[in-house]
Amino acid sequence: MPSVRIPPPYRGPTLGAAEIRAEGETVGVVLDWVERKFPGFVAQVLDEDGNVHGFVKLFKNGEHLVRDPLRMPLADGDELEIIAAIAGG
Amino acid sequence: MADRMIYVDMTSQNVELKPFPAKWQTLGGRGLSAKILLDECNPKCDALGPENVLVLAPGVLSGTAAPTSGRISVGCKSPLTGGIKEANSGGQPGQHLVKLGYRAIVVKGQPKDASKRYALEVTAEGAKIVPADEYKGLLNYSLCERLATKYPKTTSFISIGPAGELRLKGASVATTDQDNRYPARHAARGGVGAVMGSKGLKYVAVDPGRASVVHAAERKKFGELCKDYSQAYLSGPLMFKHGTSSVVPIANMLHTFPHKNRVSGQSPDAKTLDGARIVESFESRGGGMHNCMTGCIVRCSNIVHGKDGKYVTSALEFETLTLLGSNCAVASWEDVAELDRLCDELGLDTIETGSALAVLMDAGQLKWGDAESMKALLREIPGGSERGKAVGNGVVAAGKFTGHHRVPHGKGQSLPAWDPRPLKATGVTYCTSPMGADHTAGLIINPGLTPDKFAYESQKVQIVNAVCDSSGFCQFLQPSLDNIRAFYGALFGREVSRDEIHGLGWQTLCDEWEFNKRAGFTAKDDVLADCLAKDPIGPANAVFDVAPEIIAAVYTKMTPGEDMFSAKASG
Repeated sequence: MPSVRIPPPYRGPTLGAAEIRAEGETVGVVLDWVERKFPGFVAQVLDEDGNVHGFVKLFKNGEHLVRDPLRMPLADGDELEIIAAIAGG
Repeated sequence: MADRMIYVDMTSQNVELKPFPAKWQTLGGRGLSAKILLDECNPKCDALGPENVLVLAPGVLSGTAAPTSGRISVGCKSPLTGGIKEANSGGQPGQHLVKLGYRAIVVKGQPKDASKRYALEVTAEGAKIVPADEYKGLLNYSLCERLATKYPKTTSFISIGPAGELRLKGASVATTDQDNRYPARHAARGGVGAVMGSKGLKYVAVDPGRASVVHAAERKKFGELCKDYSQAYLSGPLMFKHGTSSVVPIANMLHTFPHKNRVSGQSPDAKTLDGARIVESFESRGGGMHNCMTGCIVRCSNIVHGKDGKYVTSALEFETLTLLGSNCAVASWEDVAELDRLCDELGLDTIETGSALAVLMDAGQLKWGDAESMKALLREIPGGSERGKAVGNGVVAAGKFTGHHRVPHGKGQSLPAWDPRPLKATGVTYCTSPMGADHTAGLIINPGLTPDKFAYESQKVQIVNAVCDSSGFCQFLQPSLDNIRAFYGALFGREVSRDEIHGLGWQTLCDEWEFNKRAGFTAKDDVLADCLAKDPIGPANAVFDVAPEIIAAVYTKMTPGEDMFSAKASG
């Protein structure tokens, strides 16, 4: 099962969980799985059109997913990391 | 190595250069300011009187080739909170001072004639006080335009606007950036500008001349650290490449984009206040992203133009879009840009000012979203109108002026955008930070954190940020304690252990807490305004209800975990 690393600002819906082992063969399917388990999570990652928010970046095994991130395949042992720019003065 | 401090006595009009004590080698910025204030400032003094001490202190790494390391701390007893204050700014002066060999400027006393204005000129030869009456009352931009014709092109400036001269408690200290020498960077919080004004000091001019970069004891190692850190940062996600204004949508999502004096944590105008709109405007209007200081690799500052393609303001940040925008129900980022410019001209903290204006609106004395009335009110401030004074003196003064009940503050300082109701651990920082409600003291954005972890997380980020603010690094570079001690080690030519770097942060906090204790603060002051405990927000109807014993636990030094040293500075 791939794992999903959750940044601290997004851990409200996941009840504090920092890492989740998820099911799915692509990034999009994995995010859907997380949403079913932790409702409210995906709205933090995807906008109303289903695209990744501009302030969010997705990384697979440390590599930034730039083009079509939701279609990127994920296999057992892969790590999907969600990074969001949250800070600000 | 920089090895001197400039001591300025505004009563006797004397300047003295003193050696920088070797025992303070690892102190700079906030840590140095705290040490000087604890040793040399009477915590019970009148913050606007002659006994207060104003400290301008660059960071430990300022003046070196370390990336984004030129931040400067402005410290004093705050006229807003009554406690110790450190406000931190970007811009050029920090780098310039250290390159000239100065670790701090310490200003004491007060001119006998309060109507007089003075300036401090700092060069490689030393420092001198000069008359500056001709600049009295000038707005910051006009001041810097005139100064640019008087001083060499290399000169950077630290200045106050009319708000500081009027000693208003929301007054900021401005510094100039590296491009046009606009006074768009501000040490904003806590009324530091009022203290500079109370010293009769209108500006400081720092001319580095041909002063060169400060070299480390282990030059090769330091150079490699600079290169490796910069490469790692630049090959990473570059989360701040469009500035903090791009945080608006996620803050709105987390119900921490206060609307209408914080009655809601979400704004219907999040899309029109989103920094993405500012970035979109670059194509047709010009402007763009830039760095506010030499050597900055983050480049989070935006240069904002109007519809006519002309410059309006720089560094239109998330907090300003929140407090002068959403919190006042202003929908247009362009209106907020003009309000930001007005605050920069007057020398006012946009957070405190926005919060104060929202109280007037909530009390029915201004219409929600009426940006033109807000601009008109700000323009009244130099003339000394009563409502102008109320707004310029901050949210608590605005509350007293209106008699309104909803006055969101911590230790007298307005809450920033990051709301302690959905972000309770951040609220613990607001309660315990010596600075009052200050998100740069230690922001924790983790809605899933359980209460048993609040105290440790708050203590952790407060230590990390105290070290960062002492180092000269910008918080948006997000260095960790391990990163900072590596740079210190190469700078000094010796190992800096985890114990030592952790100890520096903890000692800074202890010095600041001690100052506040001597000023009369007790545990009873570690609370937030009532409205935050009573007015719920968000789908979870969150209020700030953290138990006093959790808050009190921050004051007991906890054993640092591995995460203490890998946690990134956050602001």
